[in-house]
Amino acid sequence: MFSADGRFRDGGVKFLKKARSRGIDPSIRAEVWPFLLGVYDLNSTEDERNIIRRQKRKEYENLRRRCRRLPSHRQKGNELLRLVEFSNECSPRLDEIPESPGFEVFSARLSHFTGGGNTNEDLPIYDKSPDSNPCDIEEEDRSGIIHVDSFLESETSDSESSVEEDPETMGRSSITEAIVDPDLKYAKGASLRRNCSNRTTEDFATWQRIIRLDAVRANAEWVIYSSAQALVTEEQALQSATAVGLKDCDHLEPCMIYHAARLVALLEAYAIYDPEIGYCQGMSDLLSPIIAVIEDDHDAFWCFVGFMRKARHNFRLDEVGIRRQLNIVSKIIKSKDSHLYRHLEKLQAEDCFFVYRMVVVLFRRELTFEQTVCLWEVMWADQAAIRAGIGKSAWGRIRLRAPPTDDLLLYAVAACVLQRKKLIIESSNCMDEIMSECNSMAGKLDVWRLLDDAHDLIVTLHDKVE
Amino acid sequence: MAATPARARADYDYLIKLLLIGDSGVGKSCLLLRFSDGSFTTSFITTIGIDFKIRTIELDGKRIKLQIWDTAGQERFRTITTAYYRGAMGILLVYDVTDESSFNNIKNWIRNIEQHASDNVNKILVGNKADMDESKRAVPTSKGQALADEYGIKFFETSAKTNLNVEQVFFSIARDIKQRLAETDTKAEDKTIKINKPDQAGAEGEASQKSACCG
Repeated sequence: MFSADGRFRDGGVKFLKKARSRGIDPSIRAEVWPFLLGVYDLNSTEDERNIIRRQKRKEYENLRRRCRRLPSHRQKGNELLRLVEFSNECSPRLDEIPESPGFEVFSARLSHFTGGGNTNEDLPIYDKSPDSNPCDIEEEDRSGIIHVDSFLESETSDSESSVEEDPETMGRSSITEAIVDPDLKYAKGASLRRNCSNRTTEDFATWQRIIRLDAVRANAEWVIYSSAQALVTEEQALQSATAVGLKDCDHLEPCMIYHAARLVALLEAYAIYDPEIGYCQGMSDLLSPIIAVIEDDHDAFWCFVGFMRKARHNFRLDEVGIRRQLNIVSKIIKSKDSHLYRHLEKLQAEDCFFVYRMVVVLFRRELTFEQTVCLWEVMWADQAAIRAGIGKSAWGRIRLRAPPTDDLLLYAVAACVLQRKKLIIESSNCMDEIMSECNSMAGKLDVWRLLDDAHDLIVTLHDKVE
Repeated sequence: MAATPARARADYDYLIKLLLIGDSGVGKSCLLLRFSDGSFTTSFITTIGIDFKIRTIELDGKRIKLQIWDTAGQERFRTITTAYYRGAMGILLVYDVTDESSFNNIKNWIRNIEQHASDNVNKILVGNKADMDESKRAVPTSKGQALADEYGIKFFETSAKTNLNVEQVFFSIARDIKQRLAETDTKAEDKTIKINKPDQAGAEGEASQKSACCG
């Protein structure tokens, strides 16, 4: 499959074709995922990949360093940095932001204030106003906004000296330094730049808090898959937890603590890397399987970044991405089965809110670990094929039925609903019942049948829906 | 396969829809699990979007089917969560007594209710995790009570872990709602409508509720 310099002989076509039809063999997942997720180009040589890997490792370590220097939730009650939005006005719109989530473009000011006891009160967690806001009309999907290769420049200079230090043991004193660090007048971390002033502001401290909550709430089934994690000693686990400031996890098994600590480290780094998204609940569901498969944090991080390139839209603050997707699911159902669609309309469920969770965390809650990973691999292979420009005609030549699509998951969701057509029409008198049905599918789905059905839908509908 | 067989309507006199709201991690899902299943887990996975559970209770000889909606705490899920406000007859505002910011945010959640729920919705304030060591407590009981008084609503401190006051909270709000429904619902005929109506779409549920209240 590979030439002497470690390059795919055929640009990866055969590899993607295999991945699309049956996923990846568990024994080579860790090696192969970086290709599927765009960390490595399908045409790269082994040497090129080694260089990229080193570079990315450094970038990840820089991100972690930034995390540690940002004010922590652990300091609440003392001193907090408040990230003020760059602009409170409804314009400029999101689409004027350059194609990089880098911090320079979000140069939000940091206003620094000290508070007596209850500074939390001042955190603008909410900024409520009626739902009728202009964000709702924004429909464009800014896929591709993240460039995995975008460099987080300007960071290396001040941290080069500490590169050799163990990144997680530098201690908390650095947090205090950060408060007076002049660099911080440019948003090093959390800043939300939105197209409307009436959206909620979340800051890095908020994300840190929720990340820690979610990290220790991971489902054990998601964790034990990894043999390396399963062998972690209690001491190692506690050490890793201390390094990221994870408390209240003593009741967990060592492998769960270790997993939680890794989740914290990676999700914090991601929040810094992509401050427009920051952290949203559900992202830990997407990261967990990656951590279970990939042992090194920096490799896992860039795979996650690749995954999030598309999935990040599910977590946008303005909820445009999720609405767009539910809308596509609705369109697929409407095009495929008008009878079922009319029934949904009758129940005022045609907005397909009942599949919300499936869409947001990409079936993670409905499928087992192994099933989820297979589905994702097939989906990633589609996305990789599109990235590599292996378009519809090329797939025609290699005789694969359905062309690759960016929306495979949505077809799978629609297929899942269509499989339950009879039940929905005959026994559902309200959307609640459909949602109850959808939320209790865990363990009842056959992932390959789902994918077959999804591919059938794509063959017949992709021109109509897309 | 459906959790609630559509035809089995005769098994209750009232259907009451409740909604749990509050910051992430205050224990909404745990309270619900304790009340609906009688169990507790410390590692409850994050609620994504919205989910619900059912428990049927008996009050004054009437069978009350409680459909309790559990919401994701993070503000980012608000499109889907606020869509359920309008169909709710009662809302439980939950905070964590060991987390002051979750208490401070109650006023924001109240504002959410004002914007999205029907005007006559019943509310109750719940300070969860009351079993925690006093050294960890950040919100004194008196402060919770004062806030509840300010809004003119009932207040309970609970623990999903030790099952402290969990039944009481749900029974209390269910009783108040039942009373409200009964007051505005003297004719037996109306009640039949009410039993079937809430299961329809939220907007209609709201309309029927409002007319029942104002008419």
